[in-house]
Amino acid sequence: MIPVIGGLAINLALGLAFVSIILHFFYLRNGDGRLFLSGQRAALTVSLLSILATLILTQLLVTSNFDVDYVAHYTSLETPFIYKITALWAGQSGSLLFWLFTLSVYALITIFQNQQSQHKIMPWVMIVMTTVQLFFLILINFVANPFMPTEADFVVANGLGLNPLLQNATMAIHPPMLYLGYVGFTVPFAFSIAAMAQRDMNALWMRTVRQWLLFVWLMLSIGIILGGWWAYQELGWGGYWAWDPVENASFMPWLTGTALLHSIIIQEKKNMLKVWNMALIIITFTLCIFGTFLTRSGVMSSVHSFTASSLGPIFLSFVFLIMIVSFTLLYYRKTFLRSEKRIESFTSRESGFLFNNVVFIVMCFAVFWGTIFPVISEAVRGTKITVGAPFFNQVNIPIGLILLLLTGVGPLLVWRRTSNQSFIRNFTTPIVMGLITALVFYVLKIRGYVLVSFSLSAFVLTTIGFEFFRGIRSRMTTQKENPFIAFWRLIRKNRSRYGGYIVHVGIVLMFIGFTGHSFDSEKEFGLKKGDSEHLSGYSFTLYNIREEERPNHYAYIADMVVADASSGKSIVKLHPEKRIYFHRNPNPDRRQPHSELDIYSTMKQDIYSIFNSIDLENEVAYLKIMINPLVNWVWYGSYLFVLGTLVALWPPRKEKS
Amino acid sequence: MAGSSSILMNSKNKFYFAISGVIVVVIFWIWWASSNPADEQALVTFLSVEELIDDDHSDRVRLGGLVAEGSIELDNNNYMSCQFELQEGDYVLPVHYTGARPDLFKDGAEVIIEGMYVNGLFEADILQTKCASRYEGDLRDADSYNLDEVSI
Repeated sequence: MIPVIGGLAINLALGLAFVSIILHFFYLRNGDGRLFLSGQRAALTVSLLSILATLILTQLLVTSNFDVDYVAHYTSLETPFIYKITALWAGQSGSLLFWLFTLSVYALITIFQNQQSQHKIMPWVMIVMTTVQLFFLILINFVANPFMPTEADFVVANGLGLNPLLQNATMAIHPPMLYLGYVGFTVPFAFSIAAMAQRDMNALWMRTVRQWLLFVWLMLSIGIILGGWWAYQELGWGGYWAWDPVENASFMPWLTGTALLHSIIIQEKKNMLKVWNMALIIITFTLCIFGTFLTRSGVMSSVHSFTASSLGPIFLSFVFLIMIVSFTLLYYRKTFLRSEKRIESFTSRESGFLFNNVVFIVMCFAVFWGTIFPVISEAVRGTKITVGAPFFNQVNIPIGLILLLLTGVGPLLVWRRTSNQSFIRNFTTPIVMGLITALVFYVLKIRGYVLVSFSLSAFVLTTIGFEFFRGIRSRMTTQKENPFIAFWRLIRKNRSRYGGYIVHVGIVLMFIGFTGHSFDSEKEFGLKKGDSEHLSGYSFTLYNIREEERPNHYAYIADMVVADASSGKSIVKLHPEKRIYFHRNPNPDRRQPHSELDIYSTMKQDIYSIFNSIDLENEVAYLKIMINPLVNWVWYGSYLFVLGTLVALWPPRKEKS
Repeated sequence: MAGSSSILMNSKNKFYFAISGVIVVVIFWIWWASSNPADEQALVTFLSVEELIDDDHSDRVRLGGLVAEGSIELDNNNYMSCQFELQEGDYVLPVHYTGARPDLFKDGAEVIIEGMYVNGLFEADILQTKCASRYEGDLRDADSYNLDEVSI
């Protein structure tokens, strides 16, 4: 009975979405307020019904109602409670419903926040948002319905269970975060289309859009970082980023979104670049839909390997529809958006932002090119060329280093034109610091990109340090504050600027971490009890192999002691595991092995151990050890990154004046 | 407008000029990197087993298929080394692989391999399994296996 209600809810939502859009259009034509009110109520109901449908599916998952195909496919009776809930976004139809759910929550917030204040453009905002909802409702109703009954002529006693790879705390929150970001870009997009359609772009609009952008960008960033973290902890290949199509899919809107966050500052402060910003919002939103398409259509298969399905053509048509409609509108509004001001000088902050934008877009294009290259090469040359991580690294490392350089240069440039004196005053010390770093690494015989990356990091950190130093010093003299209060108030008085700097410091730390990748080393070997192996000055001794049965799996555990090879001093014990999930299943094909890693992590490096396989007959454990320098810097950098964004996002206290 | 005498030196044009310059340089860079891969693994041709056997490729290639039932044999001397048969449609290819075997590597698993084809034996150095298909629909058999679905 309950699945039927779920199905009805999405049917009804589909119909009402249509009605709502039509009512809004009629209101725009004849201005009858009752039409607007009905349209809004219909839109509200669409969102509420979508949320209801999601709650129903969750309830079905939690109560293991195997009459529903989705529940039988992604959960089993043994699946722990929390993963029964996360199974909501484990499969195709569920994740589409989850997309809709997220969008509906955003739609409700948008309605309640802006109904009064943005009354003029709200009809258009609702038309755009409801159209996106409509698209997903069509998919859920006709292509991938999560409420489909199980197709079996017997009563299903137990479900297939959730992929053990997905049974991980990070994996439980990575997709929702990513979705909050992906889906969230719908809101600024809707506001932009509405502003263009109504020719109304006021200061309040600016503030709303900027806050939304920053928030959804943060969610997308956290989603991407968690994805990398999950891959590192769980997948066992020792890395956090593989340039996999699905990863690229989330990285592309992040790049354009980041560009937008910068260039929108120019619009806010100087009322310039409006056409460009509109184009960026359109591109970013399109990339979000395109990203969902890449993950969900099976066009590109990857570690995320989702099935091929009929979703592809529908998604692509929607992507093209968005592009055509939005860019046509942009074309007809170009006079409305045109600005009287021009960029005056190369050495202005405006031009710094613009170059930053160009580099971000170019990087996005490079990623896009590599991602779709296999498809293009097959269409043009008839051979399918797969593009591996080395290609993406080769292309993107230099572009990334330019971005790193701009991170340091941009903030020190002055609006309109930077004078020579201020240029010299601001840049001398940072350049000297960069050069000293370069010299040190040169002497240490560390060269190439690594040298450039570390030197630029030193340069950027010095410029940011100086900014804080100058700000604090001036408060100390003018306000007579002690350094700590000055530091605190400096940030509080100008949240977006200093929040931005904190984000930049986080990015630099992440770059240092990325650079550590070039010092990675690894070794695979088999060990009997009591045997040792060496790698990078460490010895690895296997002192025991244990077996343990746990509620949902069976584990073999390799107990290893890591010691300094020269002094023999013990450093840490590592216990990587080889687990067999569904180990009680009578059919051996249904049992699934899984390697659980053990990582010893310090600021200097990670010692990463994987239990590859076990030869039970000869009692040999096959292990892989990786020494990954500076990986922790990536994670610490991302904490700062998130902190900085939160500082910028925190609503300012109401000023008295 | 900037009060410059020459149209070319007009600041707006200068600006567009600089930005177009950046874009041209980068497009050239991407094009150059596409035709001069830094690493043999950067750009690899994806073939079907049929194409590999018929055309006798000697360069590094990537293949997809199923592990033939009962074909996995572990090396007696080296546990990390194994031999198996890759099946795609009607074609079967003997494969030798040394290295860590992924968790899902077993009879009937969908795999992607990368390496070189030498004297009738495919020497693979990369072996990846596709996520277990039992988590999305039912396992497919060798006949209905479709290369296009695993490709890339």
